[in-house]
Amino acid sequence: MPFPCSNARWLCLAAASAALLVPWAGSAQTLPDGAGKDVVLRACSVCHPAAMVSGRFMSREQWNAEVSKMVQEGAKLSDAEFTQVVDYLAKSFPSNGAAAGQVAGRGGRGGRFGFGMTQQPSGPAPGRGGAAGGAGPIDMQVVDTAAADRGRTVYIAECVTCHGPRARGAGDGVPEAQKGPDLVRSLVVLHDRYGKEIGPFLRKGHPLQSGRPASTLTEAQIADLSHFLHQKVADTLRSGPYSRVQNVLTGDAKAGEAFFEGAGGCKQCHSPTGDLAGIASRLDPPTIQQRFLFPGAGGGRRGGGGAPPRKPVTVTVAAASGPAVTGTLLYLDDFTVALRDANGQYRSFTRGRAVKVERHDPVQAHIDLLPRYTDKNIHDIVAYLETLK
Amino acid sequence: MKPVRFLTIAALALASFAADGVDPAKFAQPPTTSWPTYNGDYSGRRFSPLTKINTGNIDALTLAWVHRMNVGPFGGGSIKATPLVIDGVLYYTFPDHVWALDARNGRELWHYAWDSTGGIHIGNRGAAAYKDYLYFETPDCHLVALDRNTGTKRWTQTICDLDLMYYGSVAPVVVKNHLIVGVSGDDLDIPGYLESRDLETGALQWHFSVVPQPGEPGSETWPNAEAMKHGGGMTWIPITYDPDLNLIYVGTGNPQPVIAGKGRLGDNLYTESIIAIDADTGKMKWWFQPSPHDTHDWDATQTPVLFNGTIDGQPRKLLAQASRNGFFFVIDRVTGKKVVTSEFVKTNWSKGIDQLGRPIPDPAKMPQFDGALVTPNQGGAANWPPTSFSPQTGLFYVNASHAYSVYYLFDTDEKPEGWGGNDRGGWGEAMLEAIDYRTGKIKWSHKWAGGGGRSGVLTTAGNLIFAGDASDNFVALNASTGEPLWHANLGQNVSNGPITFEMDGSQYVVVAAGDTLYAFVMLAK
Repeated sequence: MPFPCSNARWLCLAAASAALLVPWAGSAQTLPDGAGKDVVLRACSVCHPAAMVSGRFMSREQWNAEVSKMVQEGAKLSDAEFTQVVDYLAKSFPSNGAAAGQVAGRGGRGGRFGFGMTQQPSGPAPGRGGAAGGAGPIDMQVVDTAAADRGRTVYIAECVTCHGPRARGAGDGVPEAQKGPDLVRSLVVLHDRYGKEIGPFLRKGHPLQSGRPASTLTEAQIADLSHFLHQKVADTLRSGPYSRVQNVLTGDAKAGEAFFEGAGGCKQCHSPTGDLAGIASRLDPPTIQQRFLFPGAGGGRRGGGGAPPRKPVTVTVAAASGPAVTGTLLYLDDFTVALRDANGQYRSFTRGRAVKVERHDPVQAHIDLLPRYTDKNIHDIVAYLETLK
Repeated sequence: MKPVRFLTIAALALASFAADGVDPAKFAQPPTTSWPTYNGDYSGRRFSPLTKINTGNIDALTLAWVHRMNVGPFGGGSIKATPLVIDGVLYYTFPDHVWALDARNGRELWHYAWDSTGGIHIGNRGAAAYKDYLYFETPDCHLVALDRNTGTKRWTQTICDLDLMYYGSVAPVVVKNHLIVGVSGDDLDIPGYLESRDLETGALQWHFSVVPQPGEPGSETWPNAEAMKHGGGMTWIPITYDPDLNLIYVGTGNPQPVIAGKGRLGDNLYTESIIAIDADTGKMKWWFQPSPHDTHDWDATQTPVLFNGTIDGQPRKLLAQASRNGFFFVIDRVTGKKVVTSEFVKTNWSKGIDQLGRPIPDPAKMPQFDGALVTPNQGGAANWPPTSFSPQTGLFYVNASHAYSVYYLFDTDEKPEGWGGNDRGGWGEAMLEAIDYRTGKIKWSHKWAGGGGRSGVLTTAGNLIFAGDASDNFVALNASTGEPLWHANLGQNVSNGPITFEMDGSQYVVVAAGDTLYAFVMLAK
């Protein structure tokens, strides 16, 4: 897929002309109010249409991972802002979609790119099924999860033998004569809206596993089946329920401890009875894994709740004349360096050959390990840290 | 090196382009007073023979004008398109939008807004021009032809199926009487293709399927017909073209399902491949595959850059790509045979190079349920931003990234679909690199202190490189040494490939940063 936009800063929050904004008109207004909304508007909208941000419903862990990834790709957020953004998104767009109703006019559209996987207890809501700015058409079906639940019953009674439990087609054990195609990839299903394609297709005489004629399916049953199948399509998308880290506890805790105490050099800064005591009670294993791999950048230090504030990167600037200045690094590029000194004073310098800049990153040891780790080392460390309850 | 032919043509071009207009027959020559295609010319080198801006006077570059789009969800958005400049008019695109500006002052001549019915709005690479036509693709799968003078719609054609989550983002390219269009889409498992369309009507001329049909050559690299039918391989970066060979070169995207490769064991041809296609018939002449059986979303779509060079004393017609997977490939563009395969950043996912010059994927570094630490990350060592080759220095330039992330499998199904996994977390650093095409060795590497921007690169005969960093700086560097000579902080990251052209005796450089286009100029004395 194309790389996500690497820009993150945007300059103006000017109300854009609705006339030029046909597909997105009203998007900004559909973001629910809440703490952190302003940061989301500022940091995310430079690249993403509002609907691309608001159209997804994910767990806090998934939002954490997603926003971390965006930071890695260039989104500019301070640590405090990062937390605000994840808090806002996790609260406004949780994986169970409980807050979906707050999104005026959007109905229960969910999933990263539109197909609903969210709970929609009160039936199809007004608004578009598709994700404006996201994949697929704007008029994509809005999944009514209550209808999808009813549709599942129809599916199990009439379809599952040939088309499989996930509607991805029959498994290997099914006799050849009963092997039905993958319905998630079916053009009839993908072109369908609320049974308008599926209904006529079935009524042409499609066999049902109960043996009764497909023409006996009621309009309501076909609509329910349609919701169920569109839900299965949505499940397949990147933010579907299958998109979560599985078991990372596959390592050898003893070997992990040995690496921690020896080759990894971890004990030079960390202690299982000190800063890491009880870490496994505070963090889940996938978060532990990300945290020690990438403490200084993007995902790691921000994985999960309760991340400790990161020790600041410091810098020493020695100009051609005058004393060297050391402080907390605020900004560094090829041309400028800025810091806050011990007195709280902001200082910035133009870089040049005569100006020496030394950067001190407290997590440099973690970065230096990246080319040295084996995957076994990594899984062993997770297993070891998981013992520190 | 002495790429004699292109230099000679460059000299001729100075005279021949005085006529202006849009003449595809001239797209073989480096542009001077125009920038008439996505890459300026057919070669993809993004090298300008202009010298009025050079290492000696770069400090005198001044701002000429600024144009802000003022559309997008909140007035933001990021211009990823490379503009076209024809007869003093500049055209640029953003998803669903096209503008025509007076290139002398940035004044808007017209703005066209498409009424969208959906699709991913992540970016639009630009437009193509022919006669009075201006063509562009929309996120909702349309190819639109505008009247270039007025910005009014002439016709539209549907080029993909939005219900299957395809979308349009690539800049079309005019080749002879063909308009070459590609497609994007990575959410459901769908097949990629490249098409040729009629310039006057948009009618289909030929359709090239990236993944073969059962029984065709290449089908042996897939386990079954179902995997082939849903095998991916999108064509979302503009093609390059060699008029003498009449071959179109296209880089193809990742196979699908994207991350979980269990259901598509094999090399998965012709995904993540560089393919040479006869411009008139749409038939494949040869293929070269940078990433066999990829499971990391490392599209090999990066521009296949065409130049003539000397290898072991012999003049050769070459093609080079700095691929998203971290490898730099030089191949013979007549035959598709490998010349050089090297790493341009340190990678950890391959077990060596096969006889064809392809990296051999290490199964241990394919995504795992408990995670595999991989470099490059999903963003890649390079991505869509254009690279550049300077025949003057013989160096290939790429804004490169060296980054790690952990790749996980998520989907435990016997038959994963969609993505089936993803990468998480990461650490990275970035650098502008100059690569010697004869050896694949890094001649110099300029590490960006504030991180690397995903910006495109332009080189000029003024011995200059123009590129962006990740700190919003637009930077000019010495093309021989990599020394930064000039910069301007534009307040947003450089977001496209910069272009240059001469007008009224002055040389302009135009670059996008976020939602704004900036024109710099070296005024004629």
